[in-house]
Amino acid sequence: MGGLVLLIIMTMIGAMVFGAVLIGWRNVFIILSDTLPFASPSAAIEISPTHEDILLQIRLPRVLLAAAVGSSLAVSGAVFQGLFRNPMADPFVIGISSGAALGAVFAMLSGFSLAVGGFGAVPLFAFGGGIGTILVVYNMARVGQAVPVMTLLLAGIAASAFLSALVSLLTYFAGERLHMVVFWMMGGLGGATWQQVQVMVPYALSGYICVSLFSRELNAMLLGEETASHLGVNTERVKKILLVGASLLVAAAVSTSGIIGFVGLVVPHFVRLVAGPDHRFLLPASALLGGALLIATDTLARVVIAPSELPVGIITSLIGAPIFVYLLKKRKQLRYFGGGG
Amino acid sequence: MGLNIEVHGLKLTYGAQPVLEDTTFTVERGDSVALLGANGAGKSTLLRCISRILKPTAGHILLDDQEIARLDSKEAARMMAVVPQETAADFDFSVEDIVMMGRFPYLKRFQKEDQNDREIVRRSMEMTGVTHLADRSIATLSGGEKQRVIMARAVCQQPQALLLDEPTANLDIGYQSMLLELAARLNREQKVTVIAAIHDINLAVHHFNRFILLAGGRVMAAGRAEEVITPENIQKSYGVPASTYRHPLHGVLQVSVVRGRNPDEKNNCGSEVHVIGGGEEAMPVFEMLNQSGCGLTVGPVSAQDSGCRFAHFHSLPVIIVPPFTSMNGAHRKEHLEQMRNADLVVVPPIPFGEGNLPIFDEVRVILKEGKPVYIIDLDGVEKRDYSGKARSLLEQMIQEGAVVLKSVEDLKAVITPGGGEQNE
Repeated sequence: MGGLVLLIIMTMIGAMVFGAVLIGWRNVFIILSDTLPFASPSAAIEISPTHEDILLQIRLPRVLLAAAVGSSLAVSGAVFQGLFRNPMADPFVIGISSGAALGAVFAMLSGFSLAVGGFGAVPLFAFGGGIGTILVVYNMARVGQAVPVMTLLLAGIAASAFLSALVSLLTYFAGERLHMVVFWMMGGLGGATWQQVQVMVPYALSGYICVSLFSRELNAMLLGEETASHLGVNTERVKKILLVGASLLVAAAVSTSGIIGFVGLVVPHFVRLVAGPDHRFLLPASALLGGALLIATDTLARVVIAPSELPVGIITSLIGAPIFVYLLKKRKQLRYFGGGG
Repeated sequence: MGLNIEVHGLKLTYGAQPVLEDTTFTVERGDSVALLGANGAGKSTLLRCISRILKPTAGHILLDDQEIARLDSKEAARMMAVVPQETAADFDFSVEDIVMMGRFPYLKRFQKEDQNDREIVRRSMEMTGVTHLADRSIATLSGGEKQRVIMARAVCQQPQALLLDEPTANLDIGYQSMLLELAARLNREQKVTVIAAIHDINLAVHHFNRFILLAGGRVMAAGRAEEVITPENIQKSYGVPASTYRHPLHGVLQVSVVRGRNPDEKNNCGSEVHVIGGGEEAMPVFEMLNQSGCGLTVGPVSAQDSGCRFAHFHSLPVIIVPPFTSMNGAHRKEHLEQMRNADLVVVPPIPFGEGNLPIFDEVRVILKEGKPVYIIDLDGVEKRDYSGKARSLLEQMIQEGAVVLKSVEDLKAVITPGGGEQNE
């Protein structure tokens, strides 16, 4: 765990050094320490005010936002995989992303200039779309008081397919805004602001705390809902809490950064491969690794074709998939997810 | 320790199909109860109602006079533990992790497992014999090992009642009795109330002291083995003819399914066959002849003989002589009459002793009269001969026209028309 904390700090620093403009790591430290209260301005080295602006107004919020989004995706991925006992589950499995995409595309095409608390129409509609979808899916899957996870999964897949079709339909008529729509769907953290950070970080933190309180219950639920219930887990209540917690994390992540694939699917697997399925370790480790991964890939996205940038979703998949396959091959005896004995 | 479990007027329907219908019974503190019944009789459903997985449509379940629906999840898990037929174990949890999960109902949200919990885990693993597996991944264990780990977890829950839902269904016979013996030990030593749904009646009678037989979601019989496990009850609930008997070695009540006559084969054999004597080795002969639809008479046998039980079960004519006596004149006359009425007479592999040698005087009489007589397994006669005279006697009979057959299969060929009956 300590290693992971170190890793995320290193990637943060790296992400602040690299970019279209290279800022030396010493200067990064100086600029950062100058912002701390009670710190005496170190006059020894002359810092260009442009660098200071780039670092504090552009890179730092972007790095923090990447950390929050990456963590949210990885943690919610871990929760969904555990809840559904299904290795294919990811944060988008029950249709949150499709709902969010529909909201976002609708906002872009209708050209709403609505803004609440400094947020544009696109993130607001995306958030609303994601949450709305989860409510519909939940109620479709509900049988009396209970929500069987298998039904939930299937209802989610159905809703996802339906909403994706609507998104495609809208995209087809997008005209000159097509580029904007496609770009959003590939995901990216461009134009991150402090305001976004102020909303996203506490939000992600509280979502994380909410789900991690139920780590032990999640462990029991891996053995099946009936077993969990025999062990004293109030399964229906725990399911609802985890579903709400994870969905809020995903909706927030998607509405801030578009649809960034792979992080939520692969990071929890990665941690399980190395450290086992215990959620008391899996959740914090996934949060740290997910954050670090998204910071690193986002930095690459900024650097490879600088001064222009790639959508980060492309990079996460391009890099994540081969690494994951390598791990699978290396760990021949993969048992942690229905791999057999 | 021990929990009083009261089930009253339980009703549960899946759609329109009632699975439990006015199910009522009481399990006393410290009882160990086997829940018997055919597939679909409601055993698992009943257990799942008690373990709060299913909500009954009507009725009450009380644990020590507390309605289970009102219990808090953790409170209920401290009172009872469940060992299911199978547990998903696709994950890489270690055996110790799995057993530690049994402490879940005792831990508050922010509370860590302490020394006491670890000690209970250690003792539970020791009792169930899985200590050596502690660091192994649950996913790598065999079915039998896994089920013992689940048992360890149940022990670790320190329950007052233990529910087992066909816990031995996937185990070999060694693990079957090992697992049920563990449950029996908990019942004996810690007075844990045990209820187990179980298919194998003969296994159940070894490990439980009370029995509840379910049929169509109702309690058909409840009580001691002798009261519940009767041929009538088995026939009614499982729909097969069965016979019960005491095991020759340990005297425990056992059940065996008995095949009735096969009506399609009725015409295969129109013959009346008389079989002499009984005993274990003769039983396959009786069974084959009865299956083939032959008219069968038995005798002379003693009342304790398996041949006699066979005759009684299938309502066949039989000559019974008191045990440890030789036959009197009346018996011998009756026997001769019986053989004369038969189309053929069979001498199955029976034991020979001074007591039954006189029977063969009459056999030789009817042999002379031209009645076909078949002797089965002449080669093995020395093993069954306690008189030293059987071999020469049988050889004499062969001289007089008796036919030797190697086995039951050869006899079957003789009596069924397709096999070419030899009428001499």
